[in-house]
Amino acid sequence: MRGLKYQMKSVLRDKFCLMTFLLPILVAVALHFMGSIDMSSLGELHFGVLENELSPQTVTWLERYGPVTAYGTQEELTAAINEPSTNVIGVRADGDSLKTAVSGDELDIFRQAAATLPALYERREAGGQAKIRTLERPDIMESLQGIFIPAVLIVAMFMGCTFNAMNIISEKEDGVAFVNEILPMTPSQYILQKVVVGFLFGSLSSIVTACICFRLSLQNFGLMLALIVLSSFVAALIGLFIGKFSEGLMVGVVYIKIVMLVFIAVPILCALIGVSGPLAVICNFVPSQPAFEGIMALSAGSMGTAMKDTGILAIHCIAWFALYVLISTRRKKLAV
Amino acid sequence: MGKGFCALFKKDCRMLASGKFFLMAIGFLALYTAYVNLGYIRFMQMEPYHVYLYDPAETQASKSALVQTVPSMEAMDAALLADANGVGLDASAGDVRVVLYRGAEHIDRHRADYALSLLEPLTIHTPEVLGTNTPEQKARKEITCELLFFELAAVGFLGIAAVLFKEKGMGVIRVHAILPLQKDLFLLSKLVVFLLSDLVFAALLTLLNMGFADGAAVLPAVLIQTAILSLMMALVGLFCALLLKDFRQFTLAYLVIAIFAATPVFLSANTSVKFDWIHYHPFYHVYMGLKNAYFGTAISPVYFAGAVGTIMLLFLAVRLAFHREIGKEG
Repeated sequence: MRGLKYQMKSVLRDKFCLMTFLLPILVAVALHFMGSIDMSSLGELHFGVLENELSPQTVTWLERYGPVTAYGTQEELTAAINEPSTNVIGVRADGDSLKTAVSGDELDIFRQAAATLPALYERREAGGQAKIRTLERPDIMESLQGIFIPAVLIVAMFMGCTFNAMNIISEKEDGVAFVNEILPMTPSQYILQKVVVGFLFGSLSSIVTACICFRLSLQNFGLMLALIVLSSFVAALIGLFIGKFSEGLMVGVVYIKIVMLVFIAVPILCALIGVSGPLAVICNFVPSQPAFEGIMALSAGSMGTAMKDTGILAIHCIAWFALYVLISTRRKKLAV
Repeated sequence: MGKGFCALFKKDCRMLASGKFFLMAIGFLALYTAYVNLGYIRFMQMEPYHVYLYDPAETQASKSALVQTVPSMEAMDAALLADANGVGLDASAGDVRVVLYRGAEHIDRHRADYALSLLEPLTIHTPEVLGTNTPEQKARKEITCELLFFELAAVGFLGIAAVLFKEKGMGVIRVHAILPLQKDLFLLSKLVVFLLSDLVFAALLTLLNMGFADGAAVLPAVLIQTAILSLMMALVGLFCALLLKDFRQFTLAYLVIAIFAATPVFLSANTSVKFDWIHYHPFYHVYMGLKNAYFGTAISPVYFAGAVGTIMLLFLAVRLAFHREIGKEG
């Protein structure tokens, strides 16, 4: 218990470390208020015209389909069409009809829109008269946020891993690791002391992040808590592994970067591509995958999947812990 | 002076090699190349809207070949459910009725009018093409630029800090204070090692992901921008490493760069979402410099003057911090 007190004292003295754990919370707050950023323009059609060339009626007709920007000269219009970050379709008068211009690097959907725009203009009188039945679908940004929020949670859990790895590596560099070897401590006591700090702060950071992002029922909250606690524990344990196998700071940074990339990339890619079959089973070997899947399932209200993922995470906890104890005991025996 | 510099340069190279820095760079080069060629290019496709027609009485004889006929309303609902951007046309009750999933207001209007226009003989006007890139070339340029920027910004910064902290711990700075060498050589050798490794990384990443012909055409401009970014990030990394006490504090800086600094810049520079304040973000200008180099757009001389000025200022700040550190050690 006294060892734990010293560990906590060392962390609380390091204000930057505390800020590291606060970072995901800040991102969660930013994501929560992301509604204020206008993302609706992402898939919209944008039209560029020359000033005073098209009649006001034509401009009004174009505005039915998307925002219209008027440019003073042909060069400015060409530059706007060629600007790689936008998909501006240039529209010019062609007698009674219209002609369009594109950059050529647009996605098919925008090129098709440019190719059919003059034909739509020619039959503009008929347009807008048909009955339209619209069906409701989930907001695209909401589904994107659905991926962002679990990703932030994974980062929050990963903080414990980074912290533990860095803690052990700096102890190695300072020579404290040698002192630890001769202290009257069992490997389990050492692991517990080391794991608790990263685990505690990682899970606290994740719980606050989850409270900001989700409004869950009591039962769902219990499952979410289990998911967070288990995955923070695994992340903190992986931090110990990184610390153990890193010979120096630089190697530690390399390992952390690789683990972080795998931790974040695997679940996001699985969610985007929709992996199934044996590949899905293999992906579950990365602990962040069941955590991510479980959080996504909980936010969608699927309890069964969340419970299955909690089980997978529990197996991860036991397996990683046992492996670490085994390696530590063996090394100690070899050293003696 | 030349001999001293060579010795320092060799020592820094050996340190990076023993710290697996070069191995990591090669690993990430392979990973990014695989991602661009096997993943990203496939995701970045968006086909025109599909149009599904339910017309049991076959009243729409002059419909376009782009319209797909479905046998029942249930089949149309299933098709729309699987392809939410598609548009359904229901001609079973005489008048044609449009069925679609709600999206943005403007887009919905366009989708409906486009679908209806396909029921009549449609003249396709080929739009005038003003640019030189194909969609795939654009996607390759954009993603290569993003990956290179992230790699240079984060890794250069972290790598140089890791080297300096290791040397600090080993007492190299203390030894350097009494060596008969010019003090600035210590900083210069580090900058040169990172600059060279970043230039090689940028060249390989560009050629492997954009193809040899396209890559070689933009390479000189890309290497100039890489040099600017690499020097800036390495100098900032050196400055922080000289000021901060603990390497752990760098993990925070790394995350700040990854999440807060890079995301709004990527969003503003690559999409139609433009933030009003983005011009005050220093990374935005550097990123746009790199992006303009990839797309062959002219870069203003004011930007180059600003970049050189910033690098010189950063070097002076690092020099000051280094001399202070040597003084402390002595």
